[in-house]
Amino acid sequence: MDTFLHLVNGGAGNLAAYLAAHVLLCLLPAFFIAGAMAALIPKASITRWLGRNAAYRVSYPAAAAAGSLLAVCSCTIVPLFAGIYKKGAGLGPAITFLFFAPAGNILALAYTGSILGAEFAFARFVLCLLFGIGIGLLMALLFWRDDASHDAQTDTLFAGQANIGPAATGVLLALVAVLIAGTLKLWPLTATFGAITLPLPWAEAWQATLFQWVPFDAAKGEEGVSVQGSLLILLLLLIGVTAWKGLENVVEGANRSTWVALGLTAATLVVAALRLTPRADGLEVALTGRALAVALAMWAVLHYARRLDADAWRGWLWEAWRFVKQIFVLLVAGVFVVGVVRQLIQPEWIQSLAGRNDLLANAVAVVFGVFMYFPTLVEVPVAHMFLDLGMHRGPLLAYLMADPELSLQSILMVAAVIGRTKTFTYVGLVAVFSVLAGLIYGAWVDGVNPVWLAVGLAAFVGTLAAVLSWMLGRRAAAAAHA
Amino acid sequence: MKTVKILGSGCANCKKLEAVAREAATSAGIEAEFLKVTDMKAIMAYDLLATPGLVIDDKLVSSGRIPTQAEVRQWLAA
Repeated sequence: MDTFLHLVNGGAGNLAAYLAAHVLLCLLPAFFIAGAMAALIPKASITRWLGRNAAYRVSYPAAAAAGSLLAVCSCTIVPLFAGIYKKGAGLGPAITFLFFAPAGNILALAYTGSILGAEFAFARFVLCLLFGIGIGLLMALLFWRDDASHDAQTDTLFAGQANIGPAATGVLLALVAVLIAGTLKLWPLTATFGAITLPLPWAEAWQATLFQWVPFDAAKGEEGVSVQGSLLILLLLLIGVTAWKGLENVVEGANRSTWVALGLTAATLVVAALRLTPRADGLEVALTGRALAVALAMWAVLHYARRLDADAWRGWLWEAWRFVKQIFVLLVAGVFVVGVVRQLIQPEWIQSLAGRNDLLANAVAVVFGVFMYFPTLVEVPVAHMFLDLGMHRGPLLAYLMADPELSLQSILMVAAVIGRTKTFTYVGLVAVFSVLAGLIYGAWVDGVNPVWLAVGLAAFVGTLAAVLSWMLGRRAAAAAHA
Repeated sequence: MKTVKILGSGCANCKKLEAVAREAATSAGIEAEFLKVTDMKAIMAYDLLATPGLVIDDKLVSSGRIPTQAEVRQWLAA
């Protein structure tokens, strides 16, 4: 019974720590950004670069941009992947899109950054981008006959032209400003501009109660629940209730609950950006630069959102809410389970398997990533757990590359579109490149000169591009000859 | 009698789209047969880049978003 309670406590503690200020300041804006991208960026503004006749130096970056901007969930990934492959730019860009989408989208980047650090998110982004294009080029080289046999189907699917409107651009940029103001650890965001003490004498006692409910061990990297955290959890529950009433049918129009839910969301972000400290005589509320910046950026969001037409902002709110429904619930459950499992794993196991940055450790991490399937974003708290338990950052990146890219589900889905031979080649390439990415990032963490790594990577992608260009030239020459 | 097809693998938006389309048909008093298309190959037979897609009498009328009930009523009446 004691063991059981201990495990549940571990789960609850992990969950409470994740719902604390710094994660909310990243996740809430990220959900709204993802919704805005899905609803406000016309797909044709990017897909027009992915037609059959697009030059490959245009189509590969465009495929990566599509992965980053258009695809946060499988509703978009699978049809867009199949469309690019069968009716558009071909196998290579389709693979680049497929590889980059799970790692390059705003939710994954923002969440990785807030949990594992900005540097890690940056490494994940850059390596996924380079290897995504590299793997796409390799696949196009290996299966060039396949693309050549594509008959001249109509290109109408990719012919549409569209631009992002000025109001939508304003909303997107202002939302990104909210995200940056909420997460960046820089002056003047971290400065304090004043403090008042609210006469709440029970604040200190409440903090003591919270620490008693959720005991934690700072040495293990665990975090307890603060008074601020408990207030945020309460606000989140209120948002959940009002959002259910206000956003479920927002496509047909807003009601009073919609505005309450949005107001509560704004309040939550500001509260998360303040600093609340329980004292003997009450609760000290410190006005931080962060709170001011977040409030200012949210005002900008409102300013531009008022200029959107009704269909656009309703679609935006619906998409944001859909992402919350689809991802947040699984994330909460996943974080709880990670907290439970963590109590059972001995740090020595992880350290002996993957405590160093060598080939074996990276391979083990990739194999684990392929065979374990975690719902969207849950791979990030899992990675955090491994990091706390002593995993080297190199193998950790290898795991984070392999896990969202390769799962049984996604392998079956890809096989249905491009066939088994190509799928197995793709899986093999992703495994090899994930190990490589882990080794490279690990070497950088261990202090190898980053210039050499950058030169090597650029040379690798450049060589592939040159070979493909040469092949395409020969094919064109052969066609002209015949 | 209209034939309405919902294209999508069963994600949240597909269910929402089906609910919207059904309500639109009921409120407009139009008899319609609803079919769910979940097979990727069958979906890709239509020109769309994102699900959910709405097909009325074998014509793709919307994709990648959820139309309002008023829009669906118009398409059903056409």
